[in-house]
Amino acid sequence: MDDIQNSNPTVLPSSDLPSRRPASPTTHHPSRGTGLFDSLVPAYGYPYDPFLPKSPSASSDDEDDDEIPDPIDAQEIYDLISTITDPEHPLSLGSLSVVNLPDITIIPPSSPASRISTVQVLLTPTVTHCGLATVIGLGVRVRLERALPPRFRIDVRIKPGTHSTAEQVSRQLGDKERVAAAVENATLMAMLKKMLEGCD
Amino acid sequence: MPSAATENHFRRSSYPSILADILYAHPHHHPAAMSSSSPPYRLSPLATLTPASTSRTWLSAPHPTLPLVATATSDKSVRVYSLTTFTLISSIAGGHKRSIRSCAWKPNTRGESVLATGSFDASAGIWRRAENDAAVEEVDFTRRGARGDDSDEEGGDEDEWQFSVILDGHDSEIKSVAWSAGGQFLATCSRDKSVWVWEEIDEDSFETIAVLQEHEADVKCVAWHPMEDLLASGSYDDTIRLYREDLDDWTCVAVLSGHKATVWCVTFEPSGLKVLESDDMAPERREVLEARKKGGPRLLSSSDDQTIRLWRRKPKDTPAPPTGQGRMPSIIRSNSIEEDWFEETQLPQRHSRTIYSVSWSPISGMIVSTGSDGKIVVYKEQWRDNSGPRTAMEPLNTAVQDQPEAVVKPVASTEWVVVAEVEASHDVYEVNHVCWTKRRDKGRRSEDEEIILSTGDDGEVKVWTLETE
Repeated sequence: MDDIQNSNPTVLPSSDLPSRRPASPTTHHPSRGTGLFDSLVPAYGYPYDPFLPKSPSASSDDEDDDEIPDPIDAQEIYDLISTITDPEHPLSLGSLSVVNLPDITIIPPSSPASRISTVQVLLTPTVTHCGLATVIGLGVRVRLERALPPRFRIDVRIKPGTHSTAEQVSRQLGDKERVAAAVENATLMAMLKKMLEGCD
Repeated sequence: MPSAATENHFRRSSYPSILADILYAHPHHHPAAMSSSSPPYRLSPLATLTPASTSRTWLSAPHPTLPLVATATSDKSVRVYSLTTFTLISSIAGGHKRSIRSCAWKPNTRGESVLATGSFDASAGIWRRAENDAAVEEVDFTRRGARGDDSDEEGGDEDEWQFSVILDGHDSEIKSVAWSAGGQFLATCSRDKSVWVWEEIDEDSFETIAVLQEHEADVKCVAWHPMEDLLASGSYDDTIRLYREDLDDWTCVAVLSGHKATVWCVTFEPSGLKVLESDDMAPERREVLEARKKGGPRLLSSSDDQTIRLWRRKPKDTPAPPTGQGRMPSIIRSNSIEEDWFEETQLPQRHSRTIYSVSWSPISGMIVSTGSDGKIVVYKEQWRDNSGPRTAMEPLNTAVQDQPEAVVKPVASTEWVVVAEVEASHDVYEVNHVCWTKRRDKGRRSEDEEIILSTGDDGEVKVWTLETE
């Protein structure tokens, strides 16, 4: 860890980062609406899509607003994790584009009887061989585990094709025992604590 | 709770159609998935062991004889609850530096209880407590249980548990511990990819008799055969491995491949199950059971691939070749201790996330499973109705597969059906472990009545009854 893995990362200005306050209420967010793959991005958070104008015409009936008391959408997840600091730069995961809004998906309960939703976050490491991908992933998972209600299952994965050992790292991050043991590791936790300092 | 139907309808309409198809192509939405031919059962909550832990509980091990259950907890303690009063009796703490992931009672002990613990601190512990006459114990529990209710901290009782031995050797977190059926061996496994077999030399010393480094990744679970000194381990490398002693050396005798992700739990079929037997059994069914008996208890496994698989051993002593080719020199074969296990079947797929735990009832022969989706599912094996035309697939799973094809005779086979299911068993939390044990509280309806214990991320151990509707 002595050598900096990526000494010259691409940094986005904060004005380019997704936020809940677009320039005007009718303007779509920069990270959506202009890309080639917009049609492929699922309408995550459908009943409470932050980009859907809250006008009566858009929501066919009013009941959905009353039914779900505490909606959590992709933007909220983004806000929770984009402020995590990169372990080797004093920069946020949002500004380094490690965390990207279109790569956050909320999957609703698999059956009407279940209340369990899944938050899926795909991370894009700054360089394909970044040895810190696991630590970053762990930071994201721990941050979400602490901040989200327990009805959320958290799947943090490395975006396929963005890292030499993406599958391997993703698997580790999905293993509950490994994550539980990592959280008990003092060295690792000191590192995570530093990364999470920027969060609220 | 809002109308689920409305909510569901709304979701359906707001998803792109392909995505909706994927999301809703789930067994739940096919009412026929639950077999109608099996008697209906209902899982009902009976009690929650109190007080519950304030941190994650990993596993609950019922005592082999006493009405006790030991719960491994991430707060570095083991909580011992009474199964007659469902209250905390004592808390075993102070031995481990990190989460206790697993614990197991040594079977066949006299005058004492012996508990093995496996911790993320890479060590295993052996704890002892002197036991008196069982009747006295029972009275004692009630008294202590009542006292336990009064104070939040369960002080004063820990001293009766003696920390006897610490087993050091693993390089990283111990995930599972298991005693052999006779209690002679203790197996431990770890993220360090190894399985260790320990033998108790005398009361305070254990000897390492094997370090098995067959797996390519974390070893998640270990389990012993109920009659033989045969050990099974499941791993992050997706395989199950079996080991036994051969001329003073423990070696891997079989590798079971089939799971597509981490194997979280392995357990053997209890011995002596007779649930499929009946006096007026058809000869073809008798034949199936006879063949099965030769292979011995089957092995059950659950995985992150959301499947539960059942494995069967091909009997070693196959009859001599029927054809007159003389004696085939089969020196290698006869001396080999390798075993041939194959996947017999998969249980109906009901879980939508990792299946952390499966347990096989020694009384009813039913299987219970649980996992990350918070569901508890109960399965029952029954004879398949073979009155209809036979399919080409059937002979593969039955005992008559070695018969010449020309011989046409009735074929018997079994199937597993889901007989009960509970969603959100621990509210929205993940459930880490499930097991069967005999019911011991006042309300029990028969000597053989069983309960199911589920252990969750919410720190709770819940008690369930399985009732016929």
